[in-house]
Amino acid sequence: MSPWAIAEGTDYEKNVKTVLAERCFACHGALKQEAGLRLDTVALMTQGGDTGPAIVPGQAKESLIWSRISSTDPDLRMPPEGEPLKQSQLDAISQWIETGAQAPPKEEPEQDPEKHWSFQPPVRPAVPTIHSTTQTDELHPIDAFLAEKQMEAGVAPVDLVDKRLWLRRVTLDLIGLPPTVAEQTAFLEDDSPDARIRVIDRLLESPQYGERWGRHWMDIWRYSDWWGLGAEVRNSQKHMWHWRDWIIESLNQDKGYDQMILEMLAADELYPEDASKLRATGYLARQYFKFNRTTWMDETIEHTFKGMLGLTANCSKCHDHKYDPITQENYYELRAIFEPYQVRMDLTGDELDLQKDGIPRAFDCNLDAPTYVHIRGDERNPKTDKAIEPKVPGFLASTVPFVIHSVELHARAVFPGLREDVVAAYRKRALLQQKAAAAAMEALEKDLETKSTLEREIVHLKKAIADQDLQAIELRHAADRIRFLGERNDSNSEQVLAEAAWSMRQLAVLQADLGRKELELQLSKESDDKKKEELSKKLKVSTQQFEAAQMKLESIGDDYPSLIGSEKTAESNVESEESRKRPFPNRSTGRRTALARWIVNEKNPLTARVAVNHIWARHFGAPLVPTVFDFGRKGTPPTHPELLDWLAVELMESGWSMKHMHRLMLMSSLYARTSSSRDATPDTLRSDRDNKLYWRMNPIRMESQVIRDSLLSLAGELDTTLGGPSIPVNNTGSKRRSLYYFHSKNERNKLLSVFDDANVLDCYRRASSIVPQQALALENSELAQELAIKIVNQMEPASSDRDFIAGAFRKVLGYEPNDQEVSLSLRFLQVQKEGSPGPSDTEQASNRSNAESISPKAAFLLALLNHNDFITIR
Amino acid sequence: MTSSQYVSPFGKNGPRRAFLSDLGMGFTGLALGAMLAGERKSLGSPSDALWSPPDGKPHFAPKAKSVIWLFMNGGVSHMESFDPKPMLNQFADKSISETPFADVQSPEKLKLARVTVIDDANGQQRNKIYPLQVGFKKYGEAGIELSDWVPHIGSCADDIAFVRSMWTTDDNHGAQTQFHSGRHMLDGEFPTLGAWVHYGLGTLNENLPQFLSMGTREYWNARDGHYLGPAHDAIPIRVDPSNPLEYGASHRKIVGDSQRLGFDLVRELNQLRAVEYPDDPVLEARIRSYELAFRMQASIPETLRFTDETESTLNMYGIDAPETKEFGMQMLACRRFVERGVRFIQVQHGGGGAGAWDAHGGLKSNHTKNFQAVDKPIAGLLKDLKQRGLLESTIVVFATEFGRTPGTQGSDGRDHHIYGFSVWMAGGGIRGGVVHGATDELGFHAVEDRHYVTDIHATILKQLGLDSRKLEIPGRKRLDIDHGVPIDAIIAS
Repeated sequence: MSPWAIAEGTDYEKNVKTVLAERCFACHGALKQEAGLRLDTVALMTQGGDTGPAIVPGQAKESLIWSRISSTDPDLRMPPEGEPLKQSQLDAISQWIETGAQAPPKEEPEQDPEKHWSFQPPVRPAVPTIHSTTQTDELHPIDAFLAEKQMEAGVAPVDLVDKRLWLRRVTLDLIGLPPTVAEQTAFLEDDSPDARIRVIDRLLESPQYGERWGRHWMDIWRYSDWWGLGAEVRNSQKHMWHWRDWIIESLNQDKGYDQMILEMLAADELYPEDASKLRATGYLARQYFKFNRTTWMDETIEHTFKGMLGLTANCSKCHDHKYDPITQENYYELRAIFEPYQVRMDLTGDELDLQKDGIPRAFDCNLDAPTYVHIRGDERNPKTDKAIEPKVPGFLASTVPFVIHSVELHARAVFPGLREDVVAAYRKRALLQQKAAAAAMEALEKDLETKSTLEREIVHLKKAIADQDLQAIELRHAADRIRFLGERNDSNSEQVLAEAAWSMRQLAVLQADLGRKELELQLSKESDDKKKEELSKKLKVSTQQFEAAQMKLESIGDDYPSLIGSEKTAESNVESEESRKRPFPNRSTGRRTALARWIVNEKNPLTARVAVNHIWARHFGAPLVPTVFDFGRKGTPPTHPELLDWLAVELMESGWSMKHMHRLMLMSSLYARTSSSRDATPDTLRSDRDNKLYWRMNPIRMESQVIRDSLLSLAGELDTTLGGPSIPVNNTGSKRRSLYYFHSKNERNKLLSVFDDANVLDCYRRASSIVPQQALALENSELAQELAIKIVNQMEPASSDRDFIAGAFRKVLGYEPNDQEVSLSLRFLQVQKEGSPGPSDTEQASNRSNAESISPKAAFLLALLNHNDFITIR
Repeated sequence: MTSSQYVSPFGKNGPRRAFLSDLGMGFTGLALGAMLAGERKSLGSPSDALWSPPDGKPHFAPKAKSVIWLFMNGGVSHMESFDPKPMLNQFADKSISETPFADVQSPEKLKLARVTVIDDANGQQRNKIYPLQVGFKKYGEAGIELSDWVPHIGSCADDIAFVRSMWTTDDNHGAQTQFHSGRHMLDGEFPTLGAWVHYGLGTLNENLPQFLSMGTREYWNARDGHYLGPAHDAIPIRVDPSNPLEYGASHRKIVGDSQRLGFDLVRELNQLRAVEYPDDPVLEARIRSYELAFRMQASIPETLRFTDETESTLNMYGIDAPETKEFGMQMLACRRFVERGVRFIQVQHGGGGAGAWDAHGGLKSNHTKNFQAVDKPIAGLLKDLKQRGLLESTIVVFATEFGRTPGTQGSDGRDHHIYGFSVWMAGGGIRGGVVHGATDELGFHAVEDRHYVTDIHATILKQLGLDSRKLEIPGRKRLDIDHGVPIDAIIAS
């Protein structure tokens, strides 16, 4: 039910109430009663507010409402925001009052906003009992819910799709790749009753499932690689792919959706030492924006609430929400949850250079950072007299607890340089250097007389440095353990610290010595006077540095640099280096954990509904709630509320298992129906041409990634390597799956962009445009043409053109061509063969542009790749 | 051999649905707008009973059909182009605070700025007045003062309305996006003017896309459709008939009419599939988009091949001289596209850094070179449109993201300046020989008839017969300032 369902009919309902609903109810209705006034029924208008009745029936000009809506004084005029009412609207209201302000019979006021359907926890409804004349078996619950509404409307579901096309549908749907010819044959020959479920299980167990559905969730969770200006990171973070890989792995493991949300929002508090789970907080690291903390916070709030809860909390940034019970202060309470967090980069694997690899992750950095309401949403105008507490909106907090517990962090989380794997990485690098230095020493022994003294000294120094470095790492690690873990061993703790410090001073001397000697060597080989002069200058500086290091060596003290395991990303372009190098706090506020637990609490009425709606939309081509990110009062109500609730409860009771939901939805009869309306009954077409009642499947345009991956897969060229760093967009020859391409606001693969790539700023539903550039890309691109040739080469040799054609249809489109299609195709091949003296059918794919024309068979295959049903999941 | 020689795939029963026979003959007057109607509808929510997607027709009688949108990336100095300020010479090298106009820098008056990059090197106050780097004189019967860098545009002054009182809020080059969409980049991303026009109006030529872009777009300003969808992004075009657009030419060699045969086969197979899947609007639209694609492959290179242009026309655009050739070719391409019924063409001039006009240093040599590249070609375009009677129905806009500071940056440059700057418009029912609005004596603040960038949008939409409020999409509430107000003073009655 829409919040103000209005019957067609009287002038009041058609011309007056619609205007009042659109322009006035937000402040004078069930949500708010400014000046004590409600305008949602005639009775309430007559009753009036603080300054008396709003209307005087029969006397428009005497009515308070009239004087306010028709006022030319901007301070008095209502509504206070936006355009004044149009003349035609004013006339309608005036005329209605003049003629007596008639009320419709039994006019009901607006429903209490907190009673809105999606704000009530879902309760599992009974599955309808359907007495079907055609179906003897018990209906699948999904089909039963659908059948109930279909029978009411006189709509009859269409037949099942043929098996081959079903296999293509389910394979593309679950793994984003077409079925092979062998898989088609096996499935067609399998008449067992569990043939379909075995296909579904096989696909769900395949690692490609995580890639396919990972991309869906990456759309919703706004995955983006970093972008900025040149080499400067301004948005998101480097190495964001760790989060992408976590998504893929989590889906493949069938990690619960609840657990995924917990890890994305709060792994740093829940699993502070688990590097694998910390990757999940890439969700928060992705929100990073260097130049404006408010923009960063706004996007975090907006998309966490839209994506996970279906709430447009963002609408209350500048003023109270116009439709939902979320005040402006509530908005800043949400901001307070995120306020302390910042982003840092943890070392990972053997890589010590964070420019090359590292895990971007969230952590609470500024525990006491205050949050203030921004007056009218203007960050330059904060209301600093009151610090805002972290909370969730009251109308939801009443049913689901929101409890914050501060989290103490283990030293290993606060000083990640303590972690054994980090120490091992340092050690490993030092050992490699030591090995290289030792090899150089050995080589030197064999070649002593040709080397100068200086050269020999350099080789020896390098070895000494490597030895010293390795020793220093061990000493620093031992000292770190004393410093941060409070460990005590046999030797004197202070002495260990002092040794670590001394070893680093010693290392500095050796390194300065090496620098000096290398310059000396260069100088000795240089003949150009000008360059000599430059080198001499450098040498002078270097010598001074060496002397300074030696001086320092004699100093006492136990101050040494700890092993670094993580670096904080600058909070903004004006944060000082000193501030950035502050030690990480040894506790976390626990606010995000509280939020995550609140979101995944089974009493939260929104989370499961929003999630099943996303899953449903991707399987069936249309969502149950069309406004997928707005389940509030402004959103569109579900077409099938009972089904939605049944699915939501099912998701929660299955332990939030997405694979369970896939199996459930895919085993419905609906999923097995054709997407054709050809054999629909006239009644069906008359009452539900748009298929709102799901009497057939909806065809789905493949996402850009599925198009490219399918091309590669059909040609046998797909590289199925899982995970790893993003592939640069200019590497157009890559054979990896498309979701691995670098993907940011600025950089996207060109071919993928043509077919509506995900918008990294906001992509709750992927666009599916139809533009001529798509035709040009599939007709003309190197990828499509070369792969068409390869697909022909991949195919089993055909005994005749007719066989070749049928085989190509099955392989590329997943269906058996009819006679007309075969004869058109035969004619095409014939004409091509006569018309073009081009290369034979056994041509080799080529990377040379315009090298050769294309063979008749490849031209035919290319035409099939341009067939609507190639890029369509029928 | 053409497709008409094939046996009809429909046998003796004939086509199942009327649209199939349309397709056999091609487009038969179906608007591209209608083709995309299904997609437009998906943007809104079905519950909004009062809302329906645009039908491609103007909301009221239009005065103009097409728009050529010329955008100078980086920020053109308004004082040294269309709003000369002799006072800068009088007070040269003085600090602004030493002049009688010191109050232009009072903090209250500088509040407009909404900073993106805190403490950036650019976008700062520049206090020492920098004298004009070029002379100026009166042009046209209207006697409008313009700089010596724009003699050719000056010769068209009687056809142009100069707006000297623009303001914006982003003191950095995000102002490029802001000029196109009306929103500061910290607000997010919003459709550009061209996208709104493309969304609102149907096609004028079924062989050509309706929204094109030429030249360099900076990465933060690279797209148009945003929440209207990528179908409303401009299609980038290069003035190179052999390689005019992405995927516009076959990777492999095409022998004879083999590609036409391929397109025919695709169409016929899709039509057969439409018998199997009647009532599938996507399939119908897909078939049409292939028709358009095939036609585009021929019509775009044809438009970009200037072989039928006379030498005097080419020279008018400066195509004969190396410094004006590149932009001249783009201007001539604009005329040819408009002539053939393309709705909206945006041309961005000057890439590199944040835009070629961004003269933080060496302003004189920078603007000399840039104006040399665009002045004659733009004048050529205006004159050519006029002599062909196209200027009446075509709006030409000259715009830039902001002006430049009256004070000097470094020794010989000017910084970004958002408080007052100039743009101009011509044709499509815009009055000529008009100066509208004014900045103060230093060219610092727009003081008379001030206009935010969306007033330019509103003016253009009004001439095209569109009401931007009627184009609004449910759930995407636009503010009054997003819509702007038409500048009626420069619209011919």
